[in-house]
Amino acid sequence: MKIFKAIPALAAVAVLAALFVTEPVLAQSPKLSDPEIASVAVTANQLDINYASIASKKSKDAEVLKFAATMARDHQAIIDQAVALVKKLGVTPKDNAVSKKLSADAEATKKSLRAKSGHAFDKAYINNEVAYHKAVISAVESLLIPQSQNAELKQLLQNVVPALKAHLEHAEMIQKTMK
Amino acid sequence: MKIYRISCAALIVSGILFIQLATSGCSSGPGEPAVRPDTTAKKTAQPALYKVEIRQMKFEPSELKVKKGDKVVFVNEDIVTHDVTEAKRRRWTSSPLKTGEYWTLVVTESSDYFCSLHPVMKGRIIVE
Repeated sequence: MKIFKAIPALAAVAVLAALFVTEPVLAQSPKLSDPEIASVAVTANQLDINYASIASKKSKDAEVLKFAATMARDHQAIIDQAVALVKKLGVTPKDNAVSKKLSADAEATKKSLRAKSGHAFDKAYINNEVAYHKAVISAVESLLIPQSQNAELKQLLQNVVPALKAHLEHAEMIQKTMK
Repeated sequence: MKIYRISCAALIVSGILFIQLATSGCSSGPGEPAVRPDTTAKKTAQPALYKVEIRQMKFEPSELKVKKGDKVVFVNEDIVTHDVTEAKRRRWTSSPLKTGEYWTLVVTESSDYFCSLHPVMKGRIIVE
C-alpha cells in the first residue's frame, strides 16, 4: 500500500488506513454505534487540529502556515457542528477502540513532526496531511457513513466529505511545489 | 443566477432575506413572482442583482455573465468559513465569511476569483 511505503512513521495515518482502507481488513472492520462514530469523527478532526498547532509553531513557510490555519479553523467548525448535533440528539460520544488507537498512535506522528525543523518539517507536515486526509476520506465514505444509523449524523458526515477533499487537493497543491 | 432589478436603497433596507424572497419569486413556474422586476425603471440606472451560493466547497454558479455595474451577492451556505478574492492581483476581497454571512460585489470588470482559504475553489465573472 502506497501510504505505508511513503510514510511509515506516520502512525495515525497507518491506523486509519489499516482499519478502513485495505480491503481485507475492511471486511473485518469494527461495527460502530452512532455514539462511537461521533467519537471517531471528533477525534479524527481534533488530531488534524493538533498537527496544525504544531505547524503553526514550527513552520516559517507562509503557504504552510496559511494551510495549517485553515485546517485548524475548518476542523474546529466541523467539531462544533458534531458536538451541536450530538447535544441535540441527546447522544454522548463514546470512546472506543478506534478512537483510542487513533489518539495513541497520533502521538508517534506528533513526536516525528516535532523532531523535524525547517524545510524537512514542512515536507513531513504536508505529506502527512495528504496521507491523513486520504485515509480519513476513505474511512468516512466506506465505514462511518454506511454504518451511521441516525439520518442527521449521516448527513453531517456526507456534508464534511467535500471539505476533506478540498483539503486534500490543497495539500497536494502545496506538496507539488515542494522539492 | 439573475435575480431582478432593484434599487440600491431597497437592497440596503431589505437585506439578504429580500434577496432570497426575490430569488424564489423568479424561480421557474407558471405563477407570478412574489417580487416583480421594476420594468418601468431606466435600465441604465438600475443594476441587476445576482446571487452566488458558496456550498459544498464550490461557488454556484461558478461562472456568471453580467453587465458592468451589476451586483453579485456571495452567500456562504457552507459548513466552513470562506472568502471571495480576486485571483490575479487580489484587487478585491470579501474578507472571511462565516456560515450564513454574505458579501456584495459591484462588478466593474471581468474577473477570475477564488477562495484564498481554499485555493481549489474558483469562479469567474464575465462582463458582457
